[in-house]
Amino acid sequence: MINLVRNEMLKLLRKKRLYVIILIIAFLVPLFTYAQFKEIQDQREKMGNQDWRTVLQQEITDTQNRLSSSRIQDEWRKYLKIRLSQQQYYLENDIDPRAPGAPTFMRIFVENSIDLLLPLLVMVIVADLVSSEASGGTIKLLLTRPVKRWRILLSKYLAMMLSISFIVLSVAVLSYGISGLVFGYGGWNMPLLTGFAVSGDELLTENVHIVPQWQYILMEFGLVWYVCVIVGTLTFMLSVLLRSTAAVMGIMLASLIAGAILVNMVSSWESAKYFFMVNLNLTNYVSGMATPIEGMSLGFSMAVLAVWGIAGFIIAFVTFSKRDIY
Amino acid sequence: MKPVLKKYTLTIVSAVSIAASLLWLFGLGWTLQDQFTANEKFEQPKEKTESATSKNEDGKLTIFALGDSLTRGTGDADGKGYTGYLSDLLKKKSEQDINLFNTAIKGETSRGLLKQIQQSEIQRQAKQADVIVMTIGGNDLFQQGAALESLDMNAINGKKQIYLRNVNNIYKQLRELNQDAVIYHVGLYNPFSNLSDAKTTSSVVRDWNFQTAAAAAEFENIVYVPTFDLFQLQVENYLYSDQFHPNTEGYKLIAERVASLITFEQEEDES
Repeated sequence: MINLVRNEMLKLLRKKRLYVIILIIAFLVPLFTYAQFKEIQDQREKMGNQDWRTVLQQEITDTQNRLSSSRIQDEWRKYLKIRLSQQQYYLENDIDPRAPGAPTFMRIFVENSIDLLLPLLVMVIVADLVSSEASGGTIKLLLTRPVKRWRILLSKYLAMMLSISFIVLSVAVLSYGISGLVFGYGGWNMPLLTGFAVSGDELLTENVHIVPQWQYILMEFGLVWYVCVIVGTLTFMLSVLLRSTAAVMGIMLASLIAGAILVNMVSSWESAKYFFMVNLNLTNYVSGMATPIEGMSLGFSMAVLAVWGIAGFIIAFVTFSKRDIY
Repeated sequence: MKPVLKKYTLTIVSAVSIAASLLWLFGLGWTLQDQFTANEKFEQPKEKTESATSKNEDGKLTIFALGDSLTRGTGDADGKGYTGYLSDLLKKKSEQDINLFNTAIKGETSRGLLKQIQQSEIQRQAKQADVIVMTIGGNDLFQQGAALESLDMNAINGKKQIYLRNVNNIYKQLRELNQDAVIYHVGLYNPFSNLSDAKTTSSVVRDWNFQTAAAAAEFENIVYVPTFDLFQLQVENYLYSDQFHPNTEGYKLIAERVASLITFEQEEDES
């Protein structure tokens, strides 16, 4: 088995996809670092004062002013209200949620890329794992060996898991390493609040507790990894079902982007919460943001994702072992 | 040579990936443990770090503005409001950098403001201020610009009593927070003074202003700044298209008036 996985990893590396992905990340991170840097600079210029409390208070007042406007959408109002009470809570506890530093950047970067960017990168790796063998005809060579079919597929699946871990790791390392040049490398022990629960437009704070930032980041990366594995599994299933890599990519791309759009407009269509693509934003539950649909929670979203993942896994293995190859 | 190198990278990448998998799995497990088990309620930090409470820490003049939409600057094309023009004017006059903190909220009533200054961050900023400017009461009296139509004197008097009590409390709290800063309470004008029943509305606003000024006089260093006269004659030229808030010109008038008072006080301090 180990040799099979080794073989698959070798194939993956030979395709050079992993390097391309690392290059993409290495190109994007400086871009966002610069954007963040500009934002901080701009804020300083405007406020003429570097005390974060003043900045945060100003933001709170601005939000309050927006809330008092009558021409505001209900959805948006709810989001603003929850963010407002959260900011107030941070302020009251004298914690700066955005103290600049490489770990903070890492956290913000990963929170923003969990629902689209990282799944897309995963998709690039996984989409042709099986379908390329089918379209290239090498699948016949692979299956004529005296190894059970499910073992071959499992070795591919494990190789996929490993490369997902590798991608997530490189996001962590690159975002830390590059942004640290600008923001400094400190800030791992900064306290952050988690455990916010949202009910309607109220922010519940019963279960709120402090975690150091390094634990917070580790937790978020765990969630990111989970999301990537689920997206990877679904792509993997499509890759087994379809011979054309382009079709796999197209379907995944469409559903991921549809998810990103749907999140913004499904609030009244309640059964949409069973789609996997509106549940990708797991980190939002840790940081305590408004959910796209009433009644979603971390447990719910993880369960939905798990069901989709397991179903995809089973379908992939059953079809692969039963299919006629000619 | 090349295949050997490849094998080498393969081993490294695989080993790193396996280690990373374990790390992320651990992170995931920790999330589950952290989010789904009840945590003991964390205690609010006993004492907050009161950093930067000393005044003038950077040698700048700090203006703290609070109140309603007038202080916010609703109706001004540049969004500055009188506070923005005020700090521009003061910057020019004193050749000093100005810190302006504006915490005004549109539609704020005296009750809302009283609640707002209970917040610790607002209090901290009030403590640091060299100058405090505020507007309040417009929403108490005009009910967001819609009222004053019925002109029911009993109702207006009732509102006035509540308002005066709140304003008194606001003054008292601000004074407790900051003994030295001069507080400029910018008064009301009558936005309806070109309408048919201008006489009645004007008398209501005048009375309202008079009572506020009387309340301000009870405290040391609270200056009541009238604006009634500024808008009395050419009200339509100084009002924004909602016929209620001042426009840019109107805000500039208010700013000039407040600015002249502030420089005067400063010079007196220095002499």
